[in-house]
Amino acid sequence: MTDLTGDIARLGMSRRRILQAALLAGPGAMALAACARADSSTPTGTAASGAATLQIASPTNPVKWPINPGNEAIASGLSPEKDAVLRLYNYADYLDPGIIKSFEEKYADTGVKVELSTFNDTLEAMAKIRGGSVPFDIYFPSYDQIGKLVLANLVRPLQHSYIPNIANVYPEFLNPFYDMEWQYTTPYTLYTTGIGWRTDRVTEDIAARPNPYDVFWDPQYQEHLAVLDDYREVIGMTLLRNGGTDVNTGDDALLAAVRDALLQMNEKTQPRVTITGYTDLPEGRLDLSQAWSGDLIMAVSYLPEGVDPSILRYWFPKDGAGVVNNDVMVSLKGGQNPVLSHLFINHVMDAKEAMNNFAYTGYQPPQVSLTPEKLISDGFIPPNLQEAIVLPGYFDSGYRLLELPPDIEAKYLAIWQQFKAGA
Amino acid sequence: MAKRSQRFLWPALAIPSFAWLALFLAIPFYVVLCIAFGQVDPIFRTSIPAWNPLDWRFDQFAITLDRIFGANNFYLPPITRTITYVVTAVIISLIIAFPVAYFTARYAGKRKGLVLVLLVAPFWISYMMRMLAWVNLLQTDGIVNSVISLGGLLPVEVNWLSGKPYTVVMGLIYGYVPYMILPLFAALDRISPSLLEAARDLGASGFDVFRRVVIPMSIPGIAAGMLLVALPMMGDYFTSDLLSGSPDTSMIGNLINGTIQTPGQSGQAAALLLLVLLVLAAPMFLYTRTVARSETRS
Repeated sequence: MTDLTGDIARLGMSRRRILQAALLAGPGAMALAACARADSSTPTGTAASGAATLQIASPTNPVKWPINPGNEAIASGLSPEKDAVLRLYNYADYLDPGIIKSFEEKYADTGVKVELSTFNDTLEAMAKIRGGSVPFDIYFPSYDQIGKLVLANLVRPLQHSYIPNIANVYPEFLNPFYDMEWQYTTPYTLYTTGIGWRTDRVTEDIAARPNPYDVFWDPQYQEHLAVLDDYREVIGMTLLRNGGTDVNTGDDALLAAVRDALLQMNEKTQPRVTITGYTDLPEGRLDLSQAWSGDLIMAVSYLPEGVDPSILRYWFPKDGAGVVNNDVMVSLKGGQNPVLSHLFINHVMDAKEAMNNFAYTGYQPPQVSLTPEKLISDGFIPPNLQEAIVLPGYFDSGYRLLELPPDIEAKYLAIWQQFKAGA
Repeated sequence: MAKRSQRFLWPALAIPSFAWLALFLAIPFYVVLCIAFGQVDPIFRTSIPAWNPLDWRFDQFAITLDRIFGANNFYLPPITRTITYVVTAVIISLIIAFPVAYFTARYAGKRKGLVLVLLVAPFWISYMMRMLAWVNLLQTDGIVNSVISLGGLLPVEVNWLSGKPYTVVMGLIYGYVPYMILPLFAALDRISPSLLEAARDLGASGFDVFRRVVIPMSIPGIAAGMLLVALPMMGDYFTSDLLSGSPDTSMIGNLINGTIQTPGQSGQAAALLLLVLLVLAAPMFLYTRTVARSETRS
């Protein structure tokens, strides 16, 4: 009996402690952020109405994030940390080990060691960063997490004086809608979402179809195709296929049509749901796949010996009206090496390093020196994959997968779950 | 003094196993309960476990039940699918395992040990690796297809890996059949040959002996084997993931895995898990009861 009450008392205690921790890490930070927002009277975005709300940045509603009190950018001209371990947090196969090596060599006098940890998806990564058990310095998310990162006070504003290489990237990234005046982010890679296929297995020219997205519902490709294991990409693609133009819609009728279409897709073509298309396609496990542009460029190096790279094709709408996105680099507040973080971010944007990284990952950096003509004439990308090159104009014509308000996100996830359950 | 220390010796020996159970079973189980009955962070959509049972709410459970039995019951297809796959796989496993166990027990003689080791040997390799090997064998241009088509003579091209239920069932059988063979072997090995001889002496035909002596006496082994393979099969998700990857063959395990990875739904995943556990506890309970009874009988 006494044991039981003791247990409950102890549980109550730990619960209180956990609540406190949660208050410090989560809602507390949110409240702070909300105050900060109210105080600094942000010029754009929805004003915080008492309770903490998540601001949604979009091209029509660009956001300048608040600088949370006590989280100002570091001073310029500081010398880098000595004998530090710089901790990077990124997807697997998404950073050239050569960059790490060249950074360590360049700053050898500081004794810096770079340690790369990887995650499978950004949801998992976010949970770990919020948990705070590892002091990661640099994180490579998509821009749709910036709102949450700022709200929870997990990112550090950048001191621009350390990052002269920003001049190497497309000028729109000096003032992107998701982070006006690049207070927190620098761009990492660009990619479009389209369709990849093998011309030796698929005889028709998918690009010539009036609506190429229809291939995912075409029974002749039954069992030989895949869609990406990414709920935003698949639902976004289905919205476009249904004639929509808003890939972030919360409209119930449109989303119901998406759900019906996805269940129909399951019935007609039984697609695989995977993000390993960049090996499955070249190795012959798939004939056709929804794909990111970088996947097809990477796929070339996974082709079995003796297979001609010209069998790979990628389609993205000619007019650029498809899904186009970019990933970013942020310096995390929990990291112990703010100066080295800045230096590393700058290093990645160096023209030569960025090019090496492109060669390794297949994902294109937004370097101004990279022109499509040059990529093809240098033999960097085979002509049959030229549609996998991301053109700067795509960022005006394309659709971007934005952060979703939690209620709409829940609707998307419900559709995705039903699709994946094979219902 | 010696007596005193002995009184504490046996309970003390049990401490490690109790600590183990508490650390790796009871506490995680309590966490699952707290997540199933907890709440969801409105912005990050991570779960907020309710550590105090007085704060437990049944929202997540209600949502889960609604998705199984309600109007839009999309949890139901993976559940019925899993039951179909598991029942099929268990029956086929039994058909495969029984003769193997029977002949090992009765006719392997001195080489019993060797046969058993050989049967178990492939399972020293991790389950994942063996499934990946099957992925290679079953590719459209893989060995299995070239054998079936007699090296390309016959126009056979089965696309095994593209969401075929039979591939998943085959994977399940291959993966778990040793767990059927071993308890069956143990049961059959225990049947004394003199009982079988007595049956023959009393005029039973070979088939009668099998039907009226061997089968009834191996029932505990059959039950144990069926349970041992059915339980992990019910929760398996990577067989379907690796050998199919299509939503058309999603099983309960895939549903739970997908739900955990979906922001804001770990509560529902925990609720699903508890429901599966409740359902699986019934046969487990029945099994332990029959075992206890048969042990008291013998």
